[in-house]
Amino acid sequence: MSSTSVYPTPINAFKESKRSVLSVIVDNEPGILARIVGLFSGRGYNIEALNVTVVDVKKNLSRITIETLGEEKVISQIIAQLEKLVPVHSATNLANLSESYEAEICLVKIEFENQEQDQKILNYADIYRSRTVQKRQNIVVYEISGTSERINKFLDDLGTIGGIKVELVRSGPIGLGI
Amino acid sequence: MNNENEFTGADILLKALKDQEVDTIFGYPGGAVLPIYDAIFGQNFLKHVLVRQEAGAVHAAEGYARSSGKVGVLLVTSGPGVTNVVTGLTDALMDSIPIVCISGQVPSHLIGTDAFQECDTTGITRPCTKHNYLVKDVTKLSETIHEAFEIASSGRPGPVLIDIPKDVQFAKSKYISKKDIRFREHRIKAGSKSVDKNFVEKLISHIKKSERPIFYVGGGCLNSGHQASQELIKLVKKTNIPITTTLHGLGCFPGEDKSSLGMLGMHGNYEANLAMNKCDLMINVGARFDDRVTGRLDAFSPDSIKFHIDIDQSSINKNVKVDFHTNTDITLTLKEINSFIDSNNIDFGDKDYSNWWGQINEWRKKECLHYEQGDEVIKPQHAISRLYELTKQKDTFVTTEVGQHQMWAAQYYKFSKPNRWITSGGLGTMGFGMPAAVGAQMANPESLVIDIAGEASFLMNIQEIATAVQYKLPIKIFILNNEYMGMVRQWQELLHGSRYSESYVDALPDFKKLAESFNAVGVRAKNISELDDTINEMISIDRPVIADIWVDKKENCFPMIPSGAAHHEMLLSKYDKENPENQEKGKVLV
Ligand SMILES: Cc1ncc(C[n+]2csc(CCOP(=O)(O)OP(=O)(O)O)c2C)c(N)n1
Ligand SMILES: [Mg+2]
Repeated sequence: MSSTSVYPTPINAFKESKRSVLSVIVDNEPGILARIVGLFSGRGYNIEALNVTVVDVKKNLSRITIETLGEEKVISQIIAQLEKLVPVHSATNLANLSESYEAEICLVKIEFENQEQDQKILNYADIYRSRTVQKRQNIVVYEISGTSERINKFLDDLGTIGGIKVELVRSGPIGLGI
Repeated sequence: MNNENEFTGADILLKALKDQEVDTIFGYPGGAVLPIYDAIFGQNFLKHVLVRQEAGAVHAAEGYARSSGKVGVLLVTSGPGVTNVVTGLTDALMDSIPIVCISGQVPSHLIGTDAFQECDTTGITRPCTKHNYLVKDVTKLSETIHEAFEIASSGRPGPVLIDIPKDVQFAKSKYISKKDIRFREHRIKAGSKSVDKNFVEKLISHIKKSERPIFYVGGGCLNSGHQASQELIKLVKKTNIPITTTLHGLGCFPGEDKSSLGMLGMHGNYEANLAMNKCDLMINVGARFDDRVTGRLDAFSPDSIKFHIDIDQSSINKNVKVDFHTNTDITLTLKEINSFIDSNNIDFGDKDYSNWWGQINEWRKKECLHYEQGDEVIKPQHAISRLYELTKQKDTFVTTEVGQHQMWAAQYYKFSKPNRWITSGGLGTMGFGMPAAVGAQMANPESLVIDIAGEASFLMNIQEIATAVQYKLPIKIFILNNEYMGMVRQWQELLHGSRYSESYVDALPDFKKLAESFNAVGVRAKNISELDDTINEMISIDRPVIADIWVDKKENCFPMIPSGAAHHEMLLSKYDKENPENQEKGKVLV
């Protein structure tokens, strides 16, 4: 979810912009997502991707994963601002952990016209070990997971095949410290 | 079934307020809060102050909170009642003032239907509160109210709003008292309770090494409580380090003390700004490096080691990178610094920074607050100086509106104690001062409460005179009447070729008659010979007074660091010309 704003964005935010993935544990209560999204838009930060799900039903906790762009100073400020929100337990920049794992899932629907295209698609699907969800006469749906980078590459490769129609959905990255 | 241990939501609210030792609430009724007003009707621990517009309620709650150190509380109805308090909530958020706003909401089953006087209250107020709630279940009400007070007052204080649908005000449940509630720590954000010893030792060693240290003290010191200011005074006495305060820090250290350089920043003292620019050690006590203080960032105190004490972690390194910081409460930290000095017998006696003080005294010789009072037209600076001289023996609280008069008040009125100076800094809200004076007078019925006002600002919440009259609050509204939005006019003069676009305040009312029509008292000083008598008369009257002080219309507020300029590029008087390059850059800033 890349956003463009009619308001000028702080120039500093892009000086040495770096992609960061933030992991935020919150009380699962009404308005929490709006609080977080509002914090980003109100202070001119970027949300590149966002993922929210309950992770502990008993304790009523959700984990929110946010992919954002900004120089290090801005990222620290975002973390500090997130931690000020009342329902937030913790906010962590995964890059600051000694070890963390990141993954994303993507569903791709491809419409093709001929045998040759089908063959090329199959070939890439095989290389990237994507799972076939559904296959009809001229439509195939794949599920691919892994790092966002890997998914990007897969999609780039598909893009080299002429004449096919691609529709897709991505979960945005999720991650965990290990 | 009628269970004796069950109460309506409205009664639970009142019980919780009593439990929280709230004795005053500012409010305005409407359909969605009628059950609460009904509960207020039959009790006597809580004094309800009926304002004349909800904006008045929120600023009064702010004034009450600032002048008493307690949480200010207000009650408004749904829809327009709430939208009228948005400015005040934002003001309280910017200036870290603890208030709790109770708002009525349409009944739960109507939420989302565009019902009469429905608005998305939590949505609208989310960015302008520290936290807010929509309480849909009456069993959660007690806990929510107690948590709201805790959040409003702890850590970096701020406004909290509780939206209560009308059906929840009628619904019944048990009441849970404050002592039976265990707060969840992660939600309270109270800051660290343990002192960072390493920070303290580092600071002491840097103080010993430094040649040109300075204390830079802000509103955080005020919010940490009276003891913070006591500890600060001790520390300054021990170390002989000069101290400057922000607009909100005024009063945390006695303004007339010789160690005080006064306020810094855009309209701060020359010596304070130069000292900040040239210092080699900056000790920031609860200030947030606001743009009104720092001026141009790349030239802000370039050669100093910076220490920062602030309970709010997001204030650290936000605008200015610091070398050392702690998020522990200021009182605790200052106490530790003082006791560390005592227990290690550290003597700063030989290190009296005499060169540094010599330099500062050179800067002081500029007499940056000097003005020429002629023998006819009253200079606004002189009006404030006289007001100070004639009231300083009294127990006085000063609120202000926003504009030149506010800056003159900050420059010429000296405060010796914290919580005596109540002004809108972060948001700069015109119309703040008079309702804030109402709140301050409610909290301090025996004290003298003065709103130093501009005529334009005063018009913004003028209706609250009626509140002051109704509750016999003898507040004094001291208007520096220059017939201009003076601060706007000043910027137009300096930055827009003296094109005074829409800054003349035409069609002003006769403030004396206006006061009389409200059953308040009006007094007026037209020239210098009437000034002292008018002030004395104003003070002597035990009723709300509007004092219309006619001042020089063209006076500008100096010194001034124009937007985008650096501390050492201050303008001292109208004869100083700004560097044209800065002027172009400054124009686009605020
Ligand atoms: C609600 C609001 N609107 C506009 C402004 C912008 N503003 C700042 S100072 C000022 C003029 C204030 O005039 P007055 O109250 O007469 O004070 P003076 O500067 O003349 O002392 C204005 C319009 C503001 N601060 N607040
Ligand atoms: Mg004016």
